Amino acid sequence: MADKILIVEDEQHQRELYAMELEDEGYDVDQASNGKEGVDKVKNNKYDLVVMDIRMPEMDGIEALGKILSRDKKIPIVIYTAYSNYKSNFMTWTADAYVTKSSNLDELKGKIKEILTSRAS
Amino acid sequence: MLKKISKFLSVALFIFHLPDVLLAVYFFILFRERSRIADHGILYVVAGLGVYFLVRIVVLSAGGNFFYTRRVRVIREIIEQFKKGRFAPQGVDIVGDDGLATVLKELVMVGRHLDNLVSTQRDEIDKFHELYQNIVFSISSYFVVMDDENAIVFANEGFCKKFQLDVDDIAGRGIEEIFYFVNARLKGGIDKVKKEGSSVILEKTHLLSVNKVSIIADIKISNILIQGRRQIILIIDDVTNKLRKDYQISLMSQISESIQSDMEIERVLYTILTGVTSGSGLGFNRAMLFLVGEDTKTLEGKMAVGPDSFEEAIEIWSATTSMTPVVQKDDSFAIESGKELLKGVLKARLSLDDDNVLVRALMKKTFIHVHDAFVDESVGDEIRELVDVKEFVVVPIVAINRSIGVIVVDNKFNQVPIGNDSIELLTIFSSQAALSIESFNSLVAVKKEMDNISRKQDAIVESEKMAAVGRIAAHIAHEIRNPLVTMGGYARRIVQQSKTLSKESGKTAVNISKAGSIIMKESERLEKILSNVMDFTRPSKYIKEFSSINDVISDTVDLLKNLFLEKKIQVQFDADGDLPLVKSDFNQIKQVVLNLIQNSIDATPTGGIIRVTTRAEEERVVLMVEDSGTGIDEEDPNVVFEPFFTTKVTGVGLGLANVKKIIKDHNGTIEVANREVGGAVFTVMFPVP
Repeated sequence: MADKILIVEDEQHQRELYAMELEDEGYDVDQASNGKEGVDKVKNNKYDLVVMDIRMPEMDGIEALGKILSRDKKIPIVIYTAYSNYKSNFMTWTADAYVTKSSNLDELKGKIKEILTSRAS
Repeated sequence: MLKKISKFLSVALFIFHLPDVLLAVYFFILFRERSRIADHGILYVVAGLGVYFLVRIVVLSAGGNFFYTRRVRVIREIIEQFKKGRFAPQGVDIVGDDGLATVLKELVMVGRHLDNLVSTQRDEIDKFHELYQNIVFSISSYFVVMDDENAIVFANEGFCKKFQLDVDDIAGRGIEEIFYFVNARLKGGIDKVKKEGSSVILEKTHLLSVNKVSIIADIKISNILIQGRRQIILIIDDVTNKLRKDYQISLMSQISESIQSDMEIERVLYTILTGVTSGSGLGFNRAMLFLVGEDTKTLEGKMAVGPDSFEEAIEIWSATTSMTPVVQKDDSFAIESGKELLKGVLKARLSLDDDNVLVRALMKKTFIHVHDAFVDESVGDEIRELVDVKEFVVVPIVAINRSIGVIVVDNKFNQVPIGNDSIELLTIFSSQAALSIESFNSLVAVKKEMDNISRKQDAIVESEKMAAVGRIAAHIAHEIRNPLVTMGGYARRIVQQSKTLSKESGKTAVNISKAGSIIMKESERLEKILSNVMDFTRPSKYIKEFSSINDVISDTVDLLKNLFLEKKIQVQFDADGDLPLVKSDFNQIKQVVLNLIQNSIDATPTGGIIRVTTRAEEERVVLMVEDSGTGIDEEDPNVVFEPFFTTKVTGVGLGLANVKKIIKDHNGTIEVANREVGGAVFTVMFPVP
């Protein structure tokens, strides 16, 4: 059974692109358009991994990260953001990976694969 | 007296009445003999009477003549005394009470009256004279009256005293004989008064007498008419002292002004010495200034003011009649006269270990008055030769209990002996000069410090600017990044999708794939630029460890090996084996070296040379990257470190700015210069703890 990934991203086109790309990789992909929606979805569903943007309306990624982790410490989260400066925010250290956004999704895909593989073993 | 008078009177009476007695005797005899002479009686009577009258006349006239002579003598005496101005005649007695005697007595009385009048008048005149004398004496001005030929008719005592002239000997001498030179102003003034008849006032004129008394005076020249003859009067007001005081004040302000306005110590020193030599200043002929050198082991000749010859002296004295500004404001600060003197003094280097009069005055902080340098052995040969004058004075320049130099003065040309009052003034002046020099020096120090501060401030401003640029850049970069990754991501997808499509649709798919890949690549390029900008603006956090710069360089050169080969560039690495470790972030320093070498590779044509050198210096490590490239075509090559400066078509202009930032974060410095043989050299210095 394919791993289930939740993408939390406010920009629709980006979100859809990631979804397509990750589906092509064989994952089962769900989407949320902001932090709040993301937290709700994690509450009601079981995901193997969450890809989290940071700057989003209503609830940002860092807050959402905290909320998700307070519910389930084991769920792996990859922060995927255009802003490298959030690296200095210690909250982001609780995530499993911090990837800076790029048009080339290879790094993101690589990280996801790495995390899921290490979990499986 | 009474006896004499009575004797005289009795004799006179006797002489007077003798004819009467004789007549009476004659008539008595005649009466007795009347019978014998009866016939001729009348004849005897007539004859007797005739003889009597004859005798009477003789006696009378003789007596009258006697009294007449006596009175004439009295009158003569009175007149004689009148002639002498004695209107109250002495030793004159008027005898008798006849008309003449009365007249004479009245005359004597009139005389006495006259005498009273005259003596009252004389008292008045004496009083007036005294007053006049007092006035003349109380006026400090000097008076000289000259005739048409410029010969002196009168000169007052003050004038003679001042110019050391003999009061009795002055009349008849020409004005040119009194003053060593009649300067053009005075001569012109006199001529003008003669020609136009009006008065002329010459202010602040320098007068030098033959016996070398020199003053600065306001001179009023006017015409006066004495008994129909024209004469010229000069009223000379000695303003030397007043001027000196004014001058000293203005001089001090000039000195401080010159200190503030321009930072040339020479000009300050020149102003000080001009004050010492100027007629309105201290009035010495020459002045020389020596200051203790920076090594505090020598006394160095710094400045000299004064003529080289007597002719030059005269020229200067005639020219500087008034208080013309000493310090020229323009930049052509040139010393016209006394070049030889200046040359000699500037060459002088006196060791403070030597024993000579200058060093002694400096050490003891007290003035030394040399009366005869040619005899006085303590002067020292070097000094004797340098000053070449019999009498001179050395005054130390003491600033806050520290001797910083000496001033040497003399009167070489007019040979006026140097008085204690002049020395005293000079001492005061020298302490003022000391303050000026000290304040100049501290001003220089302050300026240096201020330059430092302003450099630091510039750095702060620069970093502020950088921060602002950074914030804006970061904002823009982030805002752009999101849409960019979206675009790029879809382009990438198009390319991938068209690859699977190409098997079926052939040419169209290839075209789409091509277009897609162009969009993809361009997005990637933009992303890279943005990464650069974000790297630059990101507040840096370094993990600093003691690391070897040499290792960093070796690593980097290895990394770039292919690039060197590609451009056939020869790389030399001259490593200092004893290089101390530098506390640094290895990766960041690697970035620096990488950027610098890459930059050099870009600037160096194929077949060029790049040399990397490391060197240990006192408390720092120096890293140099030289290339044989084109160099930097900028007035200040250091502009290459400014963000967004680039000459490359593809670069953003942040590479070197980033380098500078990293080095700065390591408390180091980086500079770039063009090499004389072509190409550029980057010099990085890291402090070693």
